[in-house]
Amino acid sequence: MSTRWRSVGILGAVALLVGACTGGASPVASPSEAPTSVAPSVAPSAEPVEIDWWHIQNNDPGKQLWQDLADEYTAAHPNVKVNLTVLENEAFKTKLTTEMQAKTPPDLFQSWGGGGMAEQQKAGLLKDITADVASWKDTINPGALGMYQVDGKQYGIPFDLGMVGFWYNKDLFDKAGITTPPATWAELLDAVKKLTAEGITPIALGGKDKWPGMFYWAYLALRAGGKDAMANAVATGDWSGTSFVEAGKQLKALVDLEPFQEGFLAAPWDGAGGQAASMANEKAAMQLMGQWAPGTMQANTPDKQKVKFNLGWFPFPSLEGGAGAPTDGFGGGNGFAVGKDAPPETVDFLKFLVSSDAANRWGALNSGILPTTVGAETSVTDPDLKSVLENRAKAEYVQLYLDQATTPALGGVINDAIQTLYAGTGTPEQVAATISDAAKTQ
Amino acid sequence: MSTTRRSQRLEAEPLRRGLAAVARYGLLLSVAAIIIIPVGYAVIGGFKDSAQLTTDPIGLPNPWVTSNYTDVLASDSFWRQLLNSVLIAAMSTFLVALFSALAAFVFARRVFPGREVLFTLFTLGLLFPAAVAILPLFILVRDLGLYDNPLGIALPEAAFGLPLTILVLRPFFHSIPTELEDAASIDGCGQFGFFWRVLLPLSRPALATVALLAIVFSWNQFLLPLVMLSSEANWTLPLGVTNYSTQFTTDTARILAYTTLALIPALIFYVFAERQLVGGLTSGAVKG
Amino acid sequence: MTAALQSGARTRRRAVGAWATIGLFMLPALSLYVLFVLLPIAQAVRFSFFKWNGLAPLTEFVGLANYERALADPVFIGAVSHNVLIVVLSLALQIPFALGLALMLNRRFRGRAALRLVFFAPYVIAEVITGVVWSLLLQPGGLAEGALEAFGLGSLYHPWLADPSTVMLALFVIISWKYFGFHMILLLAGLQGIPRELDEAAAMDGASRRQAIRYVTLPLLGPTLRVSVFLSIIGALQLFDLVWVTTGGGPVNASNTMATYMFDWGFRRFQLGYGSAVAVILFILALVVALAYQRFVMRRDIEGAVTIYGG
Repeated sequence: MSTRWRSVGILGAVALLVGACTGGASPVASPSEAPTSVAPSVAPSAEPVEIDWWHIQNNDPGKQLWQDLADEYTAAHPNVKVNLTVLENEAFKTKLTTEMQAKTPPDLFQSWGGGGMAEQQKAGLLKDITADVASWKDTINPGALGMYQVDGKQYGIPFDLGMVGFWYNKDLFDKAGITTPPATWAELLDAVKKLTAEGITPIALGGKDKWPGMFYWAYLALRAGGKDAMANAVATGDWSGTSFVEAGKQLKALVDLEPFQEGFLAAPWDGAGGQAASMANEKAAMQLMGQWAPGTMQANTPDKQKVKFNLGWFPFPSLEGGAGAPTDGFGGGNGFAVGKDAPPETVDFLKFLVSSDAANRWGALNSGILPTTVGAETSVTDPDLKSVLENRAKAEYVQLYLDQATTPALGGVINDAIQTLYAGTGTPEQVAATISDAAKTQ
Repeated sequence: MSTTRRSQRLEAEPLRRGLAAVARYGLLLSVAAIIIIPVGYAVIGGFKDSAQLTTDPIGLPNPWVTSNYTDVLASDSFWRQLLNSVLIAAMSTFLVALFSALAAFVFARRVFPGREVLFTLFTLGLLFPAAVAILPLFILVRDLGLYDNPLGIALPEAAFGLPLTILVLRPFFHSIPTELEDAASIDGCGQFGFFWRVLLPLSRPALATVALLAIVFSWNQFLLPLVMLSSEANWTLPLGVTNYSTQFTTDTARILAYTTLALIPALIFYVFAERQLVGGLTSGAVKG
Repeated sequence: MTAALQSGARTRRRAVGAWATIGLFMLPALSLYVLFVLLPIAQAVRFSFFKWNGLAPLTEFVGLANYERALADPVFIGAVSHNVLIVVLSLALQIPFALGLALMLNRRFRGRAALRLVFFAPYVIAEVITGVVWSLLLQPGGLAEGALEAFGLGSLYHPWLADPSTVMLALFVIISWKYFGFHMILLLAGLQGIPRELDEAAAMDGASRRQAIRYVTLPLLGPTLRVSVFLSIIGALQLFDLVWVTTGGGPVNASNTMATYMFDWGFRRFQLGYGSAVAVILFILALVVALAYQRFVMRRDIEGAVTIYGG
């Protein structure tokens, strides 16, 4: 009775003491010892410097590779200490938000570029590194580089850029009598009908996450209106063009064929029972997804090996009568942005992380990270990933994912609106109108 | 013996009573079976790999993949996170139970102006979604120098647990008769003495209940530790599970295994608390 | 004399020491609460009057615009209706069920401790895993479909979580599964507080089991029961974690609650002013309910009605 409370009391007191004595590190490594100039950095100072680096490649082999690179850099620059924080994607977004809101961004952190990054820049949380990277920015793929610019100034550097395309099960296609991958939208609808006739689920879709469904609409809009209409809409917030209604109509034509797996509206992208798992276990014939798809499918196979069936890739088909070039791409990647308080050494470290050597090692992992350092493309050996890379090279224009190109708020509205087409609760006109209205209030 | 008495009773009562007992037992067991299925699913799911979960969600694992469980148990991070979770849960539960008991005592057994207003003020904390307060809370914890410190989590957890705990304790404390308090003061025991030596021991079921609820609340907290901690060495169990997801993959089977293991300590707490729940006012002091 | 009056009289007779005690006893809880709960909430309320993405400085004051926007948004109104549905279902189904089982689990019988553990286990499981497991159970080809087919009822199966018209009901089942244990242990603790002597006395007076429950147990369980109902209502209004993890508020917003709406539209879309306004609306709704409940239902507990030994 009272003895129990006494022991609880003691435990509590000890805990309090422990808590107080093992007080934590300060949340931001103080850059106090680094020179405070913002001009292009001269040779790094010999004084001790700490760089806070946050990335989201929280599983091996990527995690190990980043660690190795950090170790190599610090070995070559003994005065630099890299504080590494590795987080899972969603946890990262949450934690970054609180740090941003408290005005203490990390020195170097994961970024997807586009509108999300622009909002951070507008809030004065990023460092302008245009001058710092001027000497070596040509080593990076220009299309990707552009995604990390705001008003022509550089705020981050990419290390990965891919493209969304169709991953398909060649064996199931053969079974349905489809000999070549569809090159036009009409052919795709045809292929869907053939697969359904064979009793095969044509397409796997993770409707719950909404963004997999957004890919279809975005590509159709790109094909229908061309890159100028798309870029213009993103930039000015005017989504009233006819291509956006057209995209909805074409998508509806697909949805009406009921090509998706049962219960797709509640299926996630990854995890058991999700889109990737369905595809990996041959429950569906194809999926429209980015370059990480093989990795996720592999994680869902019985022994985590490559998928057993013949995997192939084909680019998003062209749309008859559309103004867009069939080579235009839709996709995105990963990169690092630099925080406003970062020491100058950060940019030098960043340069090391995207150097040819590092990029080649990333490519060799064939993990779905497609390096953006010029010349590193050859390090990727997986044939499907090579297809993606080839198409990326052919594309004159790559549109960043809509929910990243625009602001998070508008991106949410876009994803929601498109989902209504899949659920049959919205019309193509309504979708375009909803997005337009929301864009006006931004 | 009790068995003879029981059979005598059964004979004496109508047959209905026996059937009623069987029906009751049957109902309890079937409800228990339904409730346990998802839990069992999680436990067994940990023995599959993610592919099996997709291709054969219903059947038993084939083959039984033990690596999910063994890998987790073998990793130091799991044990370190377990320890951190235990530490934070203990601190937060101790704080909330003690502070709430003190406050509930006053609410239940004293009259003072503004008492109900103050009580309502406390219940306000129940009504506001804590997630919204996370940013100001984060800034506050940092300013107090408690960032990356277990106390930085335990204190807000205790604070947000106060409303529920006070709400639950108040009726219990109220039901302790005033005669006891009078007797205690006659015996020379002060107000705190009565509180500590008479009221609290008598309120064991209630205290065990709120302690249990506080432990479970702290055990499953995700947002607070995510935001208030930085070094991975300080991570709690819910944060640890994020390592099994990446930007594009989720190792469902491993998550199931991990969470099943994380469940066990909390269930052990429950077993201990259960013994206290069975105690109560029938022991001693309140007869006559 | 009621207990309150008795203690009131005594308090008055005591010296300032009594006031000091009240103050000291209240101080720890109050200071912790004000610092870590009230202040952050007040800040959040302040945010609700601004248009703010959380990153830039707090400058764009918009007054009540955020509130107007929320109340005019059909998705938000839909979310409110979902919450109300859960409140009604919880009161009608969940609480009586928990009470019935608590009463059954209150008697001694073999295996009681094990059964209680089983009933409590769902509450302990983290929300994340609850969402994952139930999604797996309810998806096409999952255990639910398999079980129905085994009983020949395969046609009854429906992908409940994927259908906007059934998703809320499916969620109610999951919620009940999870929180049932919570109410059960609350009620059990309350039942523990009722001495056996009363049951025995009632039995000796010739009361049947049902009459004993109705006239002795339930009234004495009253305060705890009222707390349980209160928590159920408030919990149903605040529902977030479970819904978020299982359906994300979808499909097409068919399972949004006020809290998931707040999180999605507020946090994830970096519209923190708007999210704070939604949180305040949620708070006001819950406050109205709580105040009304305290005034009309819990009043007798506050005034110190029948205690076990009181007059």
